[in-house]
Amino acid sequence: MQNLKKQEIITNTKKQQIKLSVPNEPEYLSVVRLTTSGIANRVGFDLEEIEDIKLAVAEACTNAMTHGKAENGNYNIEFTIEKESMIIEVKDSGKGCMVENIRKPQERELAEGGLGVFIIKSLMDKVEISSKLGKGTTIKMMKKIGGK
Amino acid sequence: MSLDIKTTYIERETVWCVELVGEIDIYTANKFREMFEELYEKKRENIEIDAKNLDYIDSTGLGVMIGALKKLRKENKKITIINVKSNIKRVLEITGIDKIFIEN
Repeated sequence: MQNLKKQEIITNTKKQQIKLSVPNEPEYLSVVRLTTSGIANRVGFDLEEIEDIKLAVAEACTNAMTHGKAENGNYNIEFTIEKESMIIEVKDSGKGCMVENIRKPQERELAEGGLGVFIIKSLMDKVEISSKLGKGTTIKMMKKIGGK
Repeated sequence: MSLDIKTTYIERETVWCVELVGEIDIYTANKFREMFEELYEKKRENIEIDAKNLDYIDSTGLGVMIGALKKLRKENKKITIINVKSNIKRVLEITGIDKIFIEN
């Protein structure tokens, strides 16, 4: 099963995309997690990688909901499956004022916030955050397929 | 997808035992926070979280735990987690929070 999947991916060179527009409501986050797991599983990631991707996407969505108060009440997620990687972009249309101090949480410091982006960066292979005033924030993250 | 919480005070060990079932994210974090507030009002004692049926926690849930611990530390009390699943252990390790909540 696993081998079959990997082979499918290798022969599939076309870029594939899945787009979601999700209401800015916390109760939909579990739907996003299930969807993300489903897609990651389809792509052929192993269980541990699926958990990582699921958590990273959920953290980005939590950020979008907290920092980006979109006017139409939705934020967007785009999954792009390429030959060697999966790229996920989470975009909000908030104020774009996310000037996050991304630092390694200090053990003794006990900070209650700012963990989200740190977690994303730890779990994914590449992370880009762009935040423009008035245009919202985009968190773009990449996970290599068969990256272990 | 939800969170169920069962709290029991164990008199002879003077500890709160908190059993978590389900998932903690931005949706269920309030319930989690309110539980800590309730225990704090009732009896300011050590809290032991049994996470054997906890499937998921993200930074929102970790934030709540850290907040609760800060308050309890002022009373010289602590919060510990036991029976942690591997995916949750990973989050705790990445963030360095394992050192605060898991006793070896």
